[in-house]
Amino acid sequence: MSDPSTNADTDHTLHPLKKIEIIVRGEKEPFVKDLLDESKISGYTIHHNVTGRGEHGFHEGRLLFNDRDGLVMFFAVGGEESIQTIVNGLTPLFEESSGVMFVSETQVVRLDKFLKEE
Amino acid sequence: MPIERSVLRARIENAAQYIGPLWPLRTFNAANPLVGFEDQPFDRAVQQAGELFGGRGYPTPAVFRQAWERGEIDPDLLTRRLAEHGITRRPDELLDQMNTDEQERPAPPADAPLDRVLVKWLSAFLDQGQAAWPMPNRSEGFFAAWRAVAPYDDALPTVDRAANLPDTLLDAFEAVLSGYPETQWESIFVHHLAALPGWTGFIKWRARRANTAWQDAYPISLADYLAVRLTLADRMDQAIAPDRAQDLPANGVDRPSLPRIWLEAWEASYRSRLLDDLQQSPPAAPDSPPDERPDAQLVFCIDVRSEVIRRHIEAQGPYETHGYAGFFGVPMQHQPYGTDTRVKACPPIVDPKHRILERPAPDRQAQADAHDWWSALETARRALVKTLKSNVAAAFGFVEGSGGFFGGAMAARTLVPSLLFRLGEAITEWVPAPDSFTEPTVDRPAPADSAEDDGLPVGLSFKAKVLYAEAAFRLMGWTDRFAPIVVFTGHGSQTPNNPYKSSLDCGACSGNPGGPNARVLAALCNEDAVREALRERGIDIPDDTVFLAGQHNTTTDEISLFVDEADLPVPRTALERLRQDLASARADAAAERVGTMNARVDTGRDGAARRETERRAADWAETRPEWGLAGNASFIVGRRRLTEGLDLEGRAFLHSYDWRTDEDGTALENIMTGPLVVGEWINTQYYFSTVDNAAYGSGSKVTQNVVGKIGIVQGNGGDLMTGLPLQSLQIDDEHPYHRPLRLLSVIEAPTDRVDQILERHAALAQLLDNEWIRLTVLDPTEEHTFFHYRPGLSWEARTDAAAAPAGAGS
Repeated sequence: MSDPSTNADTDHTLHPLKKIEIIVRGEKEPFVKDLLDESKISGYTIHHNVTGRGEHGFHEGRLLFNDRDGLVMFFAVGGEESIQTIVNGLTPLFEESSGVMFVSETQVVRLDKFLKEE
Repeated sequence: MPIERSVLRARIENAAQYIGPLWPLRTFNAANPLVGFEDQPFDRAVQQAGELFGGRGYPTPAVFRQAWERGEIDPDLLTRRLAEHGITRRPDELLDQMNTDEQERPAPPADAPLDRVLVKWLSAFLDQGQAAWPMPNRSEGFFAAWRAVAPYDDALPTVDRAANLPDTLLDAFEAVLSGYPETQWESIFVHHLAALPGWTGFIKWRARRANTAWQDAYPISLADYLAVRLTLADRMDQAIAPDRAQDLPANGVDRPSLPRIWLEAWEASYRSRLLDDLQQSPPAAPDSPPDERPDAQLVFCIDVRSEVIRRHIEAQGPYETHGYAGFFGVPMQHQPYGTDTRVKACPPIVDPKHRILERPAPDRQAQADAHDWWSALETARRALVKTLKSNVAAAFGFVEGSGGFFGGAMAARTLVPSLLFRLGEAITEWVPAPDSFTEPTVDRPAPADSAEDDGLPVGLSFKAKVLYAEAAFRLMGWTDRFAPIVVFTGHGSQTPNNPYKSSLDCGACSGNPGGPNARVLAALCNEDAVREALRERGIDIPDDTVFLAGQHNTTTDEISLFVDEADLPVPRTALERLRQDLASARADAAAERVGTMNARVDTGRDGAARRETERRAADWAETRPEWGLAGNASFIVGRRRLTEGLDLEGRAFLHSYDWRTDEDGTALENIMTGPLVVGEWINTQYYFSTVDNAAYGSGSKVTQNVVGKIGIVQGNGGDLMTGLPLQSLQIDDEHPYHRPLRLLSVIEAPTDRVDQILERHAALAQLLDNEWIRLTVLDPTEEHTFFHYRPGLSWEARTDAAAAPAGAGS
């Protein structure tokens, strides 16, 4: 459902932003959540039970009785500065524990949805 | 120097990985105190942890000597292991040598003054209702609350007002870390976190996964802890970065030490005997099931205590038993009747997905009202006594006036606990217990009533019901041949005045009794629509099969069945027969278990063992109501035929599994990634609590005190103790009852199926490769040969089988 206040913007202009994707083990989910909550991004998405192969081997995601060893994937979109804060918080983490992050250029239509008001 | 918050947080997270989370007493979970080192080989991990916490990693020479003298270490196996390392001296000499090598290991440097001050404020801040006068300003968080009271602390004479301290947490870190490069922060943090691993472990638990009301109201994080500690160190002239905090934790070295070789030989000896026993059992015999339909089938938790009672039930007559994780596969949060408390009722590695409440059954409101009336009276009495005891003015008069009554009650508890046990039973019959008039909310409520205040939906969707019911039978490999009565039996302990009660309850239910989970699964399996869906999936439950729920009291071995006496779901005669047989099994199991407890009981006298267990269940001064999971050593995944008739001495976790009904290996995959991992947590907790009770256990119960309703300290202060008490592990000061051996898993399945699972689960393979768990597979497709797992996904056929049957398996 669209927000009437943004309907005025009928030319659908695309605004450049950064996107970050993060994959960590389930036990690091609270850490990443806290990091994202404290950053200036306005929201994020979490995928649980992600399956894949990494440096330490394969991780099967569909586990009935173990939420700790599965992989979790986050993605979030924000301005360069807020994404950089997240990168700064994850870089030391990945020195010690497994996980990856990807940062890429992206574009959004409704810019106000992605920039958090202070 | 400005510090970026996100970087600081990550450095603290990295440093905290070496600290194992510590659950509060209410839901005391079994966990490996060295969980943060599991990515290291076992030997290296115990060296690193030894450096950090000062704990030992292997049993003492005295314990090895006892095992040697009892014949638990096979001389041939030991000699062979020693020879592999070029050691040819006699075992006696080596035991003496180990004794000589046991030098006083230097304890890690203790920042005693810092620890004392910090513990004082941590216990005040983290108090969960024990203190009469709570610490002020707690809602602002630990750092801010401490900052407000620090000027009144005699230990900080230079701080006379809060303004002398950093304003914020970040300011505090900037002030103390300005002289240190970021590369050194983690070592500094590791040193200060490891100084009080009990308190920091509890903060880690509370700040991360817990989401408790206490954390919401009074937030604390490891950053708060470190900010306070480092500021204190700064103001008390203690080192921010002591010499050892240069590169923590230090790396271990690869070394074939004597304790390591002896432990491996002890484990290999246990394995050899167990496999000999298993080899003599019937799996090599024809695979067809017996024709007779059993009178009842009982499903127990995989807990090692179930092995004893299962054996005795099967001996009573036409009964079959199965083993499944004691939360019965339902990942739920449980809210008992009449309380606001919500407890996690699934394993620590599983997040609850549903909330189950108990509410009065449709025609049981009268009993509920009677219960509520008595319950309200009891609550008012407790509140009044607490007020009178803690009120300065009333306390003296209260003691004067009520001393006689309380003195009498104390004398009764001490002198005639068995009488109180029977009185308790009588009161239970008089005042209806919630399980007699409530039912679990397995259905989703109407949308209007379904408030999801913390994201957990009440009840289960139909899809979820079918999923959990199917998972139960698939994992157990049980798809046909259902008896007229099937009982899901949870378990719980009965022990008064025991802060460690939850360590004796069900580990698969996060230290809670498993009865509520059993009731949920039984309710699901009795639904016609669920059965129909199961039938479509190839699990054909006959119409005359009724599922019941029960609970095994692991202190007395009594099994209570949750049935509505006014509306029996099964014929009375069948139920009475079952109850009688369960009572007989209880008597036999109690006699067996009492015999292991140093009890002065004439087990030949009728009912003496039962009465002794009842005394232990009621005696408030009893330090060992039961052994809990002490003795645990193996985890057997396979058909009951593999272990049927064997006396496994209450040392084996038994998970039912049939490799023939699990072609794609999904069931085994879920057993190995779920229950087996929980088994490893339990086993390592018992192992480390036994090898170093001071560092990883909790010392003698005699000198323990409860602090803040959250944990245990020895004496009047210090660090929170993290593991099990001495009395849960040792028969006396010198002799452990628990044998500190790493968990041996034995799986009856094709080797390539296990291989495929390990290839898909790096975390699980790591536990095996680093030797935190041992694994042997009994491969039915290779003429029932045993294969031992070797690190790096390779297998070695067993060569040390007994030459001739040893007469086991009777």
